[in-house]
Amino acid sequence: MSLEFQNVSYHYPGTSQGLNDLSFSVNTGELVAVIGPSGSGKSTLLKLVSGLTTGHSGRIKLGGQDLANTPVHERNIGMVFQNYALFPHLNVLDNIAYGLKLRKVTKALRDAKAKALLDAVGMSAFADRAASQLSGGQQQRVALARALAIDPKALLLDEPLAALDASIRGQLRDQIREIQKRFNATTLLVTHDQEEALAMADRVAVLKDGCLLQLATPKDIYEQPVSSAVAQFVGLSTIYKGTVLAQDLVDVGFAKLVASTQHRVAGQTVHALIRPEHVQIDPLEITLNRMTGRVGAQRYLGSLSRFDFHVPGAATPLLGEARSLPTAAIAVAPEHICLLDS
Amino acid sequence: MIRGISLAYGCYLLLPMVLLLIGSMGNSWTNTVLPTGLTARWYQELWLDTSFRKAFVTSLTVAVSACAINTVLALPLAYSLYHRSGRSGSWAARVVSAMPVAVPTITLGFGYLIVFNTDWLPWLGSLPLLIAAHIIYTLPYLTNTLLTDLKHLQLNALEDAAATLGASPWAQFSSVVLPNLRHSLLSGLVMVAALSVGEFGLSNLLTSFQFRTYPVVLLQAFYGATGFACAATVVLLLLAATSALISSGLGQKNVSHR
Repeated sequence: MSLEFQNVSYHYPGTSQGLNDLSFSVNTGELVAVIGPSGSGKSTLLKLVSGLTTGHSGRIKLGGQDLANTPVHERNIGMVFQNYALFPHLNVLDNIAYGLKLRKVTKALRDAKAKALLDAVGMSAFADRAASQLSGGQQQRVALARALAIDPKALLLDEPLAALDASIRGQLRDQIREIQKRFNATTLLVTHDQEEALAMADRVAVLKDGCLLQLATPKDIYEQPVSSAVAQFVGLSTIYKGTVLAQDLVDVGFAKLVASTQHRVAGQTVHALIRPEHVQIDPLEITLNRMTGRVGAQRYLGSLSRFDFHVPGAATPLLGEARSLPTAAIAVAPEHICLLDS
Repeated sequence: MIRGISLAYGCYLLLPMVLLLIGSMGNSWTNTVLPTGLTARWYQELWLDTSFRKAFVTSLTVAVSACAINTVLALPLAYSLYHRSGRSGSWAARVVSAMPVAVPTITLGFGYLIVFNTDWLPWLGSLPLLIAAHIIYTLPYLTNTLLTDLKHLQLNALEDAAATLGASPWAQFSSVVLPNLRHSLLSGLVMVAALSVGEFGLSNLLTSFQFRTYPVVLLQAFYGATGFACAATVVLLLLAATSALISSGLGQKNVSHR
């Protein structure tokens, strides 16, 4: 079932925080990750869809039906919370069967379904345990099974991995994605972890100050961000403000860079985005966009090192990643300099 | 050092109780450190004394009624205070918490004396008024116990989860809030019972001859034989101690349950 946002706005009383005229849709079975800095409105978006927060303008439609007048408990939208929110007075099986019990499903049927879901999340050995006896990762898997048990029209994941250790996060991330695909669940994932968003989502929505900056596939968001705000939030990058000098030539103050200026005209202000993995070390002298300088701060990351490269005249150092450190020069291939208008 | 203080405090606390127990079984206790002789007659006399039996029943009636009505009042009260915390509710919650300390029972009793000793409201000395006074006195204790547990459990997150799974507000309350509050409700109620059974100041001002509570009648026992007074006090002590032990036991269970 598709989820549609049409000119959705919401403002918390007495503040300017909220959502501003949001329009996009999540297709059936698609996972859209919503990312953005704190206060960008991503959690508000989820609460509006679930019905836990009400009072928005515009329309939120699920399967073509406007949700405005449907109270939270009648929406049939599964939700997974950051802190699991498993019921402490129920065991694992009864937690999963809770929604089915409310729907007056017979005990035999709801237990069978709960067991099948426990199996799906790899937790069948824990049916009789109390929720408090499980680790964070296990609790979150139970919470996912509980949300799926009601055959939800859509699934909302509110920072589901944020409270977990890094070692569990990667594993559970893959498992959630696999289960989401298996159930063909239309899913909205809110996260502050851009890596999680890129790894899990079919498409990523970047929010800032309640506005949708970009909605695109993870690859496009990373490689073709529409603005420096999106680029800064997704992945590491260095951005230099500059001016188009001529066709495919940009002046960034300390250097003149060759990059595809496309439709832009001379004199136009642009932002040149350079991702660290595109920085070549010690290039031949004839290489385009070669810059000399020195290495500043360096961080050893195991398979590679991340370094700041100070080019004389540049206000900020250029961030680079390579297996070894450059001695005196770096270069960025023209196709890897992405020009942004804002 | 701390062990020494604890020991001294324990002795200070337990010694009167031990003396009461010994006194209740002593045949005669005049001008001696300890009573002489061993007898069960004080307990027998107590059992045969109708005014004590009646007072015992009155005390239990008042305590059980206070528990029942407190449950009906405190659950929604604590629940709404919890949900309004941060707004005017937090102020109200603070008032409720502070009430038992800020308002002595004697003040409450005098207030009742003035209001309910008039031609318009001539209810002084009636059992319902006594029960009402005990409810007012014990309600903050139960509400506080529930409020603490509500905050500790972070029930709003559980309610949100229940709501998304299809629970109406009533279903959230009955299937999530109530079951999770059951231990604190029980321990709070036993505390209410213990407080009500042992309460003297308020009851002494408000009871009529017909509905005297056990502590009020107990006072009179001290004008008679020492052994009898001791036996009567031991009964009250047992009643209150049983309640307190059950209450703390439930409290512990509540903690280990988490």
